[in-house]
Amino acid sequence: MFFANLYMPVIEPHGGRLVYNVLEGDAAKSYWELSTRLEIKPTQGPDGAPIRNPYREVMSIGYGFFSPLEGFMPWNEVESVLKERRLLSGWLFPFPIVFDVTEEELKTAGAKVGDDLLLTLKGRPFAVLKIEEVYKLPDRREFADAVFGTPDRNGEVVKKRFDEKHPGWLIYRSMKPLAVAGKVAVVNPPRFREPYIRFWVPPAASRKLIEAKGWKIVVAHQTRNVPHIGHEMLMKRAMFVAGGDRPGDGVLVNAIIGAKRPGDYVDEAILEGHEALNTAGYFHHNRHMVTMTLWDMRYGNPLESLLHGIIRQNMGATHHMFGRDHAATGDYYDSYATQHLWTRGLPSYGINAPPHQLDKGLKIRPVNMGEFAYCPKCGEYTYLGISFGEVKESPLCGHTPERVSGSFLRGVIIEGLRPPRVVMRPEVYEAIVKWWRVYGYPFVTEKYLRLKEDTLEVEL
Amino acid sequence: MTYKLGLLIDEKRYEAIKNLPFAGQLKSMFGGEIRMLEIEIDDETAKKILQAFPAARVDARGYLEDLPVAFKRAVFEAIVKTGSVGREALEEVFKNIEAIKELAKKEKEYVPPP
Repeated sequence: MFFANLYMPVIEPHGGRLVYNVLEGDAAKSYWELSTRLEIKPTQGPDGAPIRNPYREVMSIGYGFFSPLEGFMPWNEVESVLKERRLLSGWLFPFPIVFDVTEEELKTAGAKVGDDLLLTLKGRPFAVLKIEEVYKLPDRREFADAVFGTPDRNGEVVKKRFDEKHPGWLIYRSMKPLAVAGKVAVVNPPRFREPYIRFWVPPAASRKLIEAKGWKIVVAHQTRNVPHIGHEMLMKRAMFVAGGDRPGDGVLVNAIIGAKRPGDYVDEAILEGHEALNTAGYFHHNRHMVTMTLWDMRYGNPLESLLHGIIRQNMGATHHMFGRDHAATGDYYDSYATQHLWTRGLPSYGINAPPHQLDKGLKIRPVNMGEFAYCPKCGEYTYLGISFGEVKESPLCGHTPERVSGSFLRGVIIEGLRPPRVVMRPEVYEAIVKWWRVYGYPFVTEKYLRLKEDTLEVEL
Repeated sequence: MTYKLGLLIDEKRYEAIKNLPFAGQLKSMFGGEIRMLEIEIDDETAKKILQAFPAARVDARGYLEDLPVAFKRAVFEAIVKTGSVGREALEEVFKNIEAIKELAKKEKEYVPPP
């Protein structure tokens, strides 16, 4: 009873109100006949491969994952985000969310400020965008630099200049020249295909589920990976850190589903790999829940962690675990840039204190973790700690632990070898092989991206 | 700066290198379930490798990762041929880099599941 009072259930959404811009029935159908309409098209990389589909942003806005954001940003809001990572309402938000179009697309749609623009997906009515502004995007290379930072301007965490090899930078770099801003509402809620339907738990539903489970301390785990045992250790140990004076109640795994960089695992294997951890009993199913968010990852390390904090707070998590190289690729950012943000802030991005200590910041609390590694001598995983500022990594045991690198593991898998049992649960490996048989490859390829773009995760 | 490339060594591969001088330097991993041969890669060669294979990257430990299986196989064969884990082995590989890139292209779309 004491704990029940101390740990109040259901953290408030970011911005104080959960957005739910989803219309059904006659109210929705009244928009289906709009003559001002525009087909949502993917953003394409230099080789023509789809690297983003804005429909995922529409879904994440409409269903409240990005609360309090209600639509695509006008230019002054983009400027505010770039200057101090805040929406015009003052609430923290890390990335410009932009609906980019060509002049020709806009002309063909006959769309202008004040119109309701019907967004179609695969030719079917999907969402409505109430046009508040149409504006020209700046030079996209400069825009992408402003989004992610540069070593000169953001030297506290940016180590290397971003380029075309960085998938998130490439998304902004590849945007079309114009942007349409305004609130969006889904007017034809799509049906998710298998296996996504099992993991689609939008914020309102997630909060109900958490309440029904009686969880008071909920630790979010970000993933874009099938879990190896190092990830499992992070999730389990974060549960002990999160409560402070008692362990947490449950882990909310939230996978980011969308276009990813070649070499990442396919989305279906990520979801079913995590699911395997509870179906095979490595987590009790009452302490572990696997969910997803639609978003084409920007791989923005500390900035991405801010978005993750927003999404998972909106889903009802009270804590967020952050590990080394959070949502990172390559060596653009410092490996512990996310921990920098959540312990000191990032003044060069206009964030002068940790996000949970700022006015109009986040309520979710960070659980900053270092890395776990397997020690053959101990026969178990040991904590390595964090190399960050004055603090240097220092293993808990006095032997020589072995790091489990995700990329090393990918190398083992692609060469057809079964990962050691101390590195990956056999049931997780089986999930990888299951989807390898479907796609002929265990990881994201250009072919997979094109196929994914053709079919998406949903049907209308 | 130097980088590293890790080659996984199974029993079959071990048979091919067991009499070479560096065979004793194989790293036993995860309680001996896997062994690895670590090769040092200089900055210039690392750049050439990253340029040849767009999906390849350097991970947080400084290892070149996400390399095509065909490339890794060629590196291993070059090591056996030259008897070295030094620059000459990588030079041997780069003599045939276009053919390896072709193989890697096919491999990008299909690798038979186990």
